[in-house]
Amino acid sequence: MSKSIRKWSLFAFLLGASLVLALAGQGTRAQDQPMSPVVSGTVQDSQSQPVEGATAQLRLAPEGKVLAEATTQANGRYALPAPTEIPDRLFVQISRAHFEDQVVELSATDMRELRNGESVAMPGTTLPRRITAAFWIATSIFVAMLVLIATGTLHNTLAALLGASLVFFVSYLGEPLSENLFIFGFDRALHYVDWNVIFLIMGMMIVIAVVERTGIFQWLAYMAYRLSGGRLWLLLPILMTVTGVASALLDNVTTMLLMTPITIQISLALGINPLALLMPEVMASNVVGISTLIGTPTNILIGSFANISFNDFLVNLTPGVLLAMVGLILYNEFVYRKEILAPGNEEISPLLLEKLEERAQITQPGHLLKAGVVGAGMIALFVFGEQIHLLPAVTALMGATALLVWIRPDIEEMIEAVDWTTLVFFITLFVVVGGIQEVGLISFIATGIGDLVGENLILAMFVVTWFSAVLSTVIANIPFTAAMLPVIGYLTATIPGAGNKVLFYCLSVGSAMGGNGSLIGASANMVTAGIAERAGHPITYAYFIKKGFPALILTVSLAMVWLLIRFLVLAG
Amino acid sequence: MSGIVCAIRGGPDSQATIARAIGLAKDTKLPLYFLYVVNLDFLSRTSSSRVHTISREMGQMGEFILLTAQAKAASEDIPAQGIIRHGDVGEEIVDLCHEIQADYLVLGRPQVQEEESIFTHDLLQEFIERTEEQTNAKVVLPDGGGE
Repeated sequence: MSKSIRKWSLFAFLLGASLVLALAGQGTRAQDQPMSPVVSGTVQDSQSQPVEGATAQLRLAPEGKVLAEATTQANGRYALPAPTEIPDRLFVQISRAHFEDQVVELSATDMRELRNGESVAMPGTTLPRRITAAFWIATSIFVAMLVLIATGTLHNTLAALLGASLVFFVSYLGEPLSENLFIFGFDRALHYVDWNVIFLIMGMMIVIAVVERTGIFQWLAYMAYRLSGGRLWLLLPILMTVTGVASALLDNVTTMLLMTPITIQISLALGINPLALLMPEVMASNVVGISTLIGTPTNILIGSFANISFNDFLVNLTPGVLLAMVGLILYNEFVYRKEILAPGNEEISPLLLEKLEERAQITQPGHLLKAGVVGAGMIALFVFGEQIHLLPAVTALMGATALLVWIRPDIEEMIEAVDWTTLVFFITLFVVVGGIQEVGLISFIATGIGDLVGENLILAMFVVTWFSAVLSTVIANIPFTAAMLPVIGYLTATIPGAGNKVLFYCLSVGSAMGGNGSLIGASANMVTAGIAERAGHPITYAYFIKKGFPALILTVSLAMVWLLIRFLVLAG
Repeated sequence: MSGIVCAIRGGPDSQATIARAIGLAKDTKLPLYFLYVVNLDFLSRTSSSRVHTISREMGQMGEFILLTAQAKAASEDIPAQGIIRHGDVGEEIVDLCHEIQADYLVLGRPQVQEEESIFTHDLLQEFIERTEEQTNAKVVLPDGGGE
């Protein structure tokens, strides 16, 4: 295939995807006209959540002939056409994998209405959960995936891919042996994949790929050095701010991949320990990244699931992040006071400084200008697009497409720059998490936390925030957040006063800032440590915990204070 | 060709290695080559699509590290070249020794090493023996460790 064909194929794909997502975003699908007369009703689980895909049957007797059959929709509704001749008794049987069957008899009043040609609305049917072998298998697969990722035994993507494959393997090959082995089918699994998340991440990856090649990070870091005059007490907050802002607009891993080498070079030129700058930078990246919808994958997950917009994050989270950032700067000034107070290296090599300046050049000013224009347009659409129901994924795809058309980069390089392994990770992760949702694990966790916090919103905020923060230090925060979303959804629906989605912001704070608690708490930590180790400045697990865990407690506490003020005091 | 290859990765632990290599160059009058190998294995646990950009950035960081070593050698009137390679550390060291028909290879031993590599205690001796056999270069370790 020629380069030009590939290039236009990618443009066409991105454009097509934008249109599809735009249409999907309208959400104004025409409703099917109900048939008359019908027996209709809703099916929900024990958390009062609608149950989709349940089979509703109209029967002459509980085990009798089936007169009509329908499947519940996403809102849990079903509608069964009544027979032309109404018998003496009718029963509605609801059945679905992983739930106990329920049979409800139509009342005498219902039967009379049907005979009069009127439709009947049945009371809502609650399906109790049923624990089967599939429950334990899906749970084991999910836990094994978390362990494989946390221990680094397998790459994230491979671990999630293996998990998804096992879910399907057990479902399709196990079902003929026992229906209790069935988790879900492929079609059902696709329901759990959030394409808004996938396309938003993909669009942002293309934009980032263009930006990262312009040399802007190196230039910013050098300017930070120039601005500080080499004084560490000043250089430290400037670099933290640069890193934080970059992390809020791009992803944390890319930011640290680009900031770490140049930071090490600045440190070498100044003759200081690079860790005194790298640790504050990576902590700032983890903290400030959550101030926008696009700053972290966890925010993208949360925003898409809970319909929290770019503006919502800015208004409800950014002040808390700024508060945490101020605390983090003061903390690092204190922690690295020895390095800050140490007399400067008097033998700063002019050669090194010259080399540093030489490298701190914007290598592609034209591309940077165009990326800046497109980026500003994207921010505007993220902020104002909410008014026209423009999904963030559409904005990201349109921005990426505009940038590619305008810049006309080497399309092969752009395709390589899209991190397909991450996209596959997200898709397969959604499948594995869908598996534990399907078998009811999430429902049990939600019920457990619900019982623990009762109707106490403040307690729920503390539990969600700190539970997420502590767990994120040991398990990967992306699968953790994906699994917690339906739990938080349940708590939001059941706890009085939680309808403002405050618990989702608590999840965002905990899962992202929790990454500062340990070296394996965030991918950005790992890449920073990887590069630092290759420059002869290893960041050990113990070192990271010693510096990072107090930062976790401080920043989460400060962000928590803001959330309490914002949602309990300011909201009245 | 002949010379001394000194593989470094920077940091305080490298200072003894660099000093040993400079001392050896003074004694033998052989040309000195500092080597830095860009190795991106750490990306295997995270995002891997940034290989092109991060490889370039790491290369520049490596040049910077080599410049510090070259500056130290120059301060002792020993000219030294800096060489950047990309790939497996062990293989690149052996390859360079072959290319310049090195007489000596100066290696360090990291004081903190959480991941297994050729410089961990168990594997270092094996690597030294294999390298001496394959390249005819004598491997020199600085007193008290270093890297």
